[in-house]
Amino acid sequence: MSTNPTEQTRPDVWIKTKDSDLYINPLPVRIWHWLNAMGFVVLIITGTFIRYTDQFQLMSFETAIKTHNWVGFAIIANYFVWLGFYLFSDRITVYHPELNFRKFFDKAFKQMMYYGYGIFRGHKSPHKVLPHDKFNPMQSITYQIVMLLVVPVQFITGLMMWDIKRFEVPIAMVGGLNTVVTVHVVIYIFFVAFTMVHAYMGALGTTPATHFREMFTGYEEEH
Amino acid sequence: MVRSTTGGAGALQPVITVFITCCMLFSGVLFALQAEESPATESPATESSATESSATESSATEVPAVKAVVAEQGAESIVEEQVKDPAALKLEETLKKNSKCLKCHNRDRTKLLEDGKEMSLQVHRDDYLASAHGEVRCTSCHRAIGNRKHPSKSTNITIESEREYSVDMNNSCRKCHMQKYKQYKGSVHSALVAQGSDKAPVCTSCHNAHAPVSMVDYQAETGLPCKNCHENIFNAYSESVHGQARINGNTIRDSHIQAPICSDCHHSHEVTALAIGDVLRTTCIACHENIILLHNQWLPNAGTHLDIVSCAVCHAPFAKRKFDLHLYDNVAQVPLAMKEGDVPIQEQLQAIVEEGVEGDPLEIWKARGGFGQEGQAVDISLRSRMEVMSGVAAHQIASKSFAVRTCESCHEPNWREKQNVTVSITQPDGRKQSFEANRETLSSVKAIESISDFYALGGKPSKLLDIMLLLAVAAGIAIPVGHFTLGKMIKEYIARGNK
Repeated sequence: MSTNPTEQTRPDVWIKTKDSDLYINPLPVRIWHWLNAMGFVVLIITGTFIRYTDQFQLMSFETAIKTHNWVGFAIIANYFVWLGFYLFSDRITVYHPELNFRKFFDKAFKQMMYYGYGIFRGHKSPHKVLPHDKFNPMQSITYQIVMLLVVPVQFITGLMMWDIKRFEVPIAMVGGLNTVVTVHVVIYIFFVAFTMVHAYMGALGTTPATHFREMFTGYEEEH
Repeated sequence: MVRSTTGGAGALQPVITVFITCCMLFSGVLFALQAEESPATESPATESSATESSATESSATEVPAVKAVVAEQGAESIVEEQVKDPAALKLEETLKKNSKCLKCHNRDRTKLLEDGKEMSLQVHRDDYLASAHGEVRCTSCHRAIGNRKHPSKSTNITIESEREYSVDMNNSCRKCHMQKYKQYKGSVHSALVAQGSDKAPVCTSCHNAHAPVSMVDYQAETGLPCKNCHENIFNAYSESVHGQARINGNTIRDSHIQAPICSDCHHSHEVTALAIGDVLRTTCIACHENIILLHNQWLPNAGTHLDIVSCAVCHAPFAKRKFDLHLYDNVAQVPLAMKEGDVPIQEQLQAIVEEGVEGDPLEIWKARGGFGQEGQAVDISLRSRMEVMSGVAAHQIASKSFAVRTCESCHEPNWREKQNVTVSITQPDGRKQSFEANRETLSSVKAIESISDFYALGGKPSKLLDIMLLLAVAAGIAIPVGHFTLGKMIKEYIARGNK
């Protein structure tokens, strides 16, 4: 595909180049997203088995624990791919918080109305996806909370449980092992629901596969 | 005249010299003999502080005195003769005096005690003389009895009971075996004796006072003397990997490492109950020095497992197990123990003991306001350990290949729910007093605070989280299905409207 604008018959925004407005998900984000997705699925399965070991005969407890530990570390490392990319690129604007609350709630309401009704009428999303303004207000607030609060807390509590003796002092500081475990489990419960809903919402594109394909290629298809 | 005078004087000179020399020699001998007598007659303190080899030592102390006198003479050959003599003389005298005692006591004689029982007074002469005590005077230990004060019908010594006499005689042992006595005083045995136990061992329970066996001659493999009281435990040990290795010549580990027997883990005099805190693990690591490394290679959270799971729980695979809760002093980093001195803490623990741990020991502790010495607040929490149910089980250590290796053995809720839960309080003598704990209290939400560290994977202290998970799964299904259905309905409605 040519990158020379003079040769184009279609507007710039339709050109699939890394500079175009269609290039929503750069490679580091895609790598991070799919590794994270696989990791979360494995962590949820092994985590469920660890917690309800008597309910399933899927694998040995030892395998579950060891897989959970290894994948956990991989996901922590992967988090820094995401963090590093956004810290050192101008794409960080996709997460910039909306400081105008009136505008934020207004847009969020419109977005909810779209998901609740407009989407079934074939309306366009009120939020126009752009490389530097990728998320609608609902996505923006959810992902900020998830990535900057929920996920780090899950990593920290997981790390503490990985070597209780080594992290004896921090565990005691946050209220003991049971508190750490409870927080870890509550977040796990949240992610069980989150993953299911997230996957469903991913299927709400023009066709169910659209957004999935976009997340692989990096290019928006619905401009 | 001059010659004769000088000649007379010259003739007298050798005579005078011989006379003076004889006088000096005689006085030297007298002095030496006196010096030899002195330790026996001079001070009881010398005798009481004598060590196990009192005869040898006392002669050693005499040597400088004798040497000083004889050195003046310049007669070296006599010196050696003088050094040997006192010890030999003393031994001779000891044996002579002892033989007087043994003459009667070699026979089967008894004494009627205050409790109505008879105590044997018999000391077998040959056994005694051949023993490590063979050169010790009878009256060194039996101080109440001497040549001139031997009990007779008129001067009878009253003894309450044989047990009381044995306890009393510990003091006689102390005089020579001070170091061992101090170790014994720190033992669980001594603590039990002090509490008035009539079975806990005193010195003579393990050592025959009249035929003590030298340490090198002890036949540890027989299990004696421990087996006399702890037969079940010794039998369990004999069947264990340690017992078998010991009996079969240490074929399991390197040949230069001798498999442990009772005293190797429990010590022979400062006998301790190994169940307290970290003592057991430390004892095991003393020989199995690489176990931390080995467990780290495969066991997740190895450090915590080694801290809270007693070695025998996995290495005595057929033993019954339990969860044992204990109050833990987070400041001193030790399990809270009942010991003399710290009165407020002791009152708290006593209250828990009295209330029988029906509820939550930590709640009882808090309700009464637990404070340490000098009114300092103590940071106490309730911790749990996995232990084996009995002392016998703790000794049934099997070979490594039989050790529990599957995590599910413990991390399986159904298994865990069947386990006993006890609350233990360490007694002043180091033993643990265990109470059956109320399981319902442990699983309540309220208990999370007090037993913040009582958690193991696979255990679900609260059903609340399970319900939350079910709701989350339900939401994860309901939201997509609901949204999808809503979409369908709206589309149909619009389609109908259009018609």
